[in-house]
Amino acid sequence: MSVEVRNIKKQFGRFPALHGVSLTVESGQLVALLGPSGSGKTTLLRIIAGLDYPDTAEGRVLFYGEDVTELPAHKRKAGFAFQQYALFRHLNVFENIAFGMRVQSRRMRPPEQEIRERVNKLLKLIQLETLGDRFPSQLSGGQRQRVALARALAIEPKVLLLDEPFGALDAKVRKELRHWLRQLHEEIHVTTLFVTHDQEEALEMADRVAILREGRIEQIGTPAEIYDHPATPFVYDFLGNVNTFAGQVREGSVVIGKTKFAAPETAGQKEAGAIAFVRPHDIHISRGPGGPGKLKARVEYINAVGPFANVELSRTDTAGKINVQLSQEQLGKLHLKHGEEVHVELRNVKIFTEDYSI
Amino acid sequence: MQPPSAINTPRRIRRRGPTSEPLLVRWLLMFIALAFMGLFLVVPLVAVFVNAFGQGVGHYFGTLTDRFTLSSIKLTLLTAVISVSSNCIFGVAAAWAITKFDFRLKNFLITLIDLPFAVSPVISGMVIVMVFGAQGWFGPWLIAHNVRIIYAVPGIILATTFVTFPFVARELIPLMQAQGRTEEEAARALGASGWHTFWRVTLPNIKWGLLYGVILCNARAMGEFGAVSVVSGHVQGKTDTMPLQIEALYQNYDTAGAFAVASVLTCLALVTIVLKAWAEKKGAVSRPADWGIFGGV
Repeated sequence: MSVEVRNIKKQFGRFPALHGVSLTVESGQLVALLGPSGSGKTTLLRIIAGLDYPDTAEGRVLFYGEDVTELPAHKRKAGFAFQQYALFRHLNVFENIAFGMRVQSRRMRPPEQEIRERVNKLLKLIQLETLGDRFPSQLSGGQRQRVALARALAIEPKVLLLDEPFGALDAKVRKELRHWLRQLHEEIHVTTLFVTHDQEEALEMADRVAILREGRIEQIGTPAEIYDHPATPFVYDFLGNVNTFAGQVREGSVVIGKTKFAAPETAGQKEAGAIAFVRPHDIHISRGPGGPGKLKARVEYINAVGPFANVELSRTDTAGKINVQLSQEQLGKLHLKHGEEVHVELRNVKIFTEDYSI
Repeated sequence: MQPPSAINTPRRIRRRGPTSEPLLVRWLLMFIALAFMGLFLVVPLVAVFVNAFGQGVGHYFGTLTDRFTLSSIKLTLLTAVISVSSNCIFGVAAAWAITKFDFRLKNFLITLIDLPFAVSPVISGMVIVMVFGAQGWFGPWLIAHNVRIIYAVPGIILATTFVTFPFVARELIPLMQAQGRTEEEAARALGASGWHTFWRVTLPNIKWGLLYGVILCNARAMGEFGAVSVVSGHVQGKTDTMPLQIEALYQNYDTAGAFAVASVLTCLALVTIVLKAWAEKKGAVSRPADWGIFGGV
């Protein structure tokens, strides 16, 4: 357990940012704090770093079992990389990275020779060996972010905290840096928490993902757990790439529009409003006779670029949109035509009633 | 009929830029600006030096090496050094407090800093007399303890400090607000103490703005007349600063002498302007192109 936060509450004026958040991070893991803006994820990261403090005495932050709640930021040894990098603009890349070593008290400070060696090693690690004497304003966004990471790593942090590490970069550089950071993590294995609002980024990079919503942790788990078994409608919705159907739970089945789908898991439940979530690749398109468990829909749009084809349908009863993902091969067999009426079957339906999930 | 060649000759059209004006307008505007500058800046500047040497080089240097003049130069420099350095400390502290912390009365403090700009210097001087003078709040106590403030050097320094008080703070507040807190936060997270953060991160980032404020503050401190005049008591050789010495010489019908001292003050002003331009340029160069992105978190 290298980082543990317990019952963190924080309010900014009248805006509650965190309502008693607790979280444990295993040593050496890469954990994503995922959530929409205003969900409190950056506030939580800043509290772990000591740049903000929890409001109540029950709120504690522990590093390797040691309570650091009362320690100021500069005594925590938490490497922090800011969204806008916050490189020291009057220092060159080399001195930016060396900063954390140079400001240590005389007893703790490594000798000059060692500082130089460590900075050079880090420059090599971030693949900017030749740019040590450049100033931050002379670097690209991706280079700046790498310098910010090296600067945070230079203090040999107990934990690395990254606030939207790729937020300000363009799509291509983002992708490259993501892989690079994941690789770097494999190499140095320092416990890392990073904040992001990009679900793809979180699912692709992290060992574990914590999803935040309005100051609470909604779900925490491995990317596969989160993607395959979202705990709440919010998580389903936030991860995106999902179709929602409003319906009614009735006698062990769920009724969507006029169609009844078997839902044995709801057996014994009272009649109630429900929302069904189905991922685009769990929808099966067919022609032929309708029947139980099939919805009628019209083909609106077909996009066949890439390995998968996306088909947009609209329901004939409510005109609600349905996104379907299928392989190019399946699409070829179906010979779908624009405006054509088809039947869809739903598989792996996840049903949420009122506030109870099954 | 026109010969065909006249039709085929392409006509060159000179188009003006969107913000350019016809030649006459441009010329007129430039003339007005230059004439105005000449009349109100160059002529008086020349007049100072012409009048200063009006009774010969001997009189000029005689006045400058006069006991009273030398004493006024010394007092002016002493006053400037003390009030500029104290305003420098105050300005950095105020700008730091306003931009790096959130507290109540913050806007009130920002407004209050401007007060010395808003009131007449004479009133500033009178306020100091009201507080420290024989009839003032602390007057009896000061007299009992044999401390002289009014009609003495401390009063002059107090008055000058009060009048020049906003320069450094006013210069630094917008600069530090634009820079935000993230670099300081980064320094803290990297293990720097508050002291280290100030010397290694904050100060290097504000140094040109600070220098600019100090230069302006110094120019005003050396030239202050109104406030100082009220508290000085005009004891020649003791409580006369250069502006007061100029006035004293002028009142004694020594016009050339008055202008001789004025010429020294003018030279100091010219040096200030050159330094100011240099600090401005340096400050602008040291700002990175993507200045704006350091603003918020």
